[in-house]
Amino acid sequence: MTHCAEDYTIDELMVVTLARQFTSDDIILNGTVSFIPVAAILLARETHAPGLTWVAGAVGVDAQPGYLMGNTLDPTMWKNCVMYLPQWEDMWSYVHRGTLETFCIRGAQIDKYGNVNNTVIGDYYHPKVRLPGSAGMGDMGSLDKRIFIWSTTHNRRTFVERVDFLGCVGYLDGGDSRERLGLKNGPQLVITDLGVMDFEPESKRMRLRSVHRGVTVEHVREQTGFELVIPDEVPETPPPTEREIHLLRDVIDPKGMRKLEFRGAGKSVK
Amino acid sequence: MAAKKEDKVMTLVDAVQLIRDGDIIAMQGMGTQMSPLALVREIIRSRKRDLTVVMVVGGIGLDWMIAAGCVRRVLAIIVNLDEFGMANAFRRAVEAGEIEMEEYTEHQLLSRLSAGSKGLPFLVTRSGLGTDLINIHPETTRIIECPFTGQKVIACRALEPDVAILHAHRADCYGNVQFFPKPIWTDVDVFPRAAKKVIVTVEEIVENEEIRRTPIHTGIPYFKVDAVVEVPYGAHPCSLYPNYSFDRVLFQEYATTSKTAEGTQQFLDRYIFGPASHAEYLQRVGGAEALLRIRKWS
Repeated sequence: MTHCAEDYTIDELMVVTLARQFTSDDIILNGTVSFIPVAAILLARETHAPGLTWVAGAVGVDAQPGYLMGNTLDPTMWKNCVMYLPQWEDMWSYVHRGTLETFCIRGAQIDKYGNVNNTVIGDYYHPKVRLPGSAGMGDMGSLDKRIFIWSTTHNRRTFVERVDFLGCVGYLDGGDSRERLGLKNGPQLVITDLGVMDFEPESKRMRLRSVHRGVTVEHVREQTGFELVIPDEVPETPPPTEREIHLLRDVIDPKGMRKLEFRGAGKSVK
Repeated sequence: MAAKKEDKVMTLVDAVQLIRDGDIIAMQGMGTQMSPLALVREIIRSRKRDLTVVMVVGGIGLDWMIAAGCVRRVLAIIVNLDEFGMANAFRRAVEAGEIEMEEYTEHQLLSRLSAGSKGLPFLVTRSGLGTDLINIHPETTRIIECPFTGQKVIACRALEPDVAILHAHRADCYGNVQFFPKPIWTDVDVFPRAAKKVIVTVEEIVENEEIRRTPIHTGIPYFKVDAVVEVPYGAHPCSLYPNYSFDRVLFQEYATTSKTAEGTQQFLDRYIFGPASHAEYLQRVGGAEALLRIRKWS
């Protein structure tokens, strides 16, 4: 019998919600500063998706590091892998052909069609704020990936009407504009510290799917800088099970690396 | 531009003479991993200017070079310090218009370098279609049509850096460079192949016979290497897997002090301009105790 956990924090709920999207058919590689996705990958593999293939840091095939140690591109994450994937020939071939089909991204700005910016705030050549850069999401948005977006800062600064710089292609201008460019798949889900969003099938506008415990629909609406599609019924995000919480806290991420993603977010982790 | 089979062992001071002001430098490294940082410190001390630095993921070494005024332009996909946060000198310099940032997708940048390595005018990719990342450098990435199918792809113009710089596990005096594990990251494979000159620092110089016993680990042959420098802990404060971890203590100190321009300069004075040698640098960052800590990956 499955027991729902009573005692869980927002970072744990985000990891568990993301983990439940992955299946045994997925082959997933991770990027930089991706503690929540890597924790979710490890959790999915320990629970409902034992066949899931993880390419740690895009290098270590089917790695088994045991638990989250350092940063998510570090070779320590490759432990017990079956192969070190050479990047230029092998990894990029598998990414282009679509063998590696799932990718998780975050960014400083996310718009209503799931386009993402982590490059600049303001003009590219004279930025108000220079951000780190697009990194792998610049590639993955255009290479037919099923994209999962996570954000620990669901507010009007992050969720904007239109990104200042389009660094990762979501559904572009909505409707069939992504398809017309010849790009398959695209953003599937957006998991934030307030709730979970997907995309309306026709318009491709972001749509509220669930709110986390203690969060109101009205609050999500207020914290979003564009008009979210809001269905008549918005359920609460399903809570983690006791087993998921135990695995996450005690086995997968005992050092609490996932909480680093909330640092500097202007709020403390509950 | 093949290099001869001759003794290429030299000092850091001599090796940086191969770099001229205004050069395009292809530099190995990521946020916290495998980067030739002893060499970077020497580049800074020798006050090189107007460099263009090419990296996939720019990290702490690039941030130091920018703070020291060595850099005019950066080509990269992201610049940060991994979980230690923003590369603050980079951010300030771009915002102030002091340096240019040419951002690419990873596959665009690698396609440019790979074209350079093969002597081709360009290679094509689909990476970045639909993004603003194509529009910001029309001189080097442009949408073209496939001559066979009409499909739209991005042409990525060849890039041949003047010098590639990297740190590896070991080499012999001729510059047969070995990695454990052998090269998997592009900055030790596409980067040196594309560059006109290659400078390698290593943890250890070994006999040629030792290389011949283990050729499976050789990633770059002597005919592509121009300088070899023995610098134990030459990647510090970045990691050299599996030998030693990145130095959390120094990264945290830099992440904190670099929040202001003054703090950044004080850091450079203390750790880069201050020590007279690499050995003195290692003393200043904590000596034997610090080195034991990073060897234990704690």
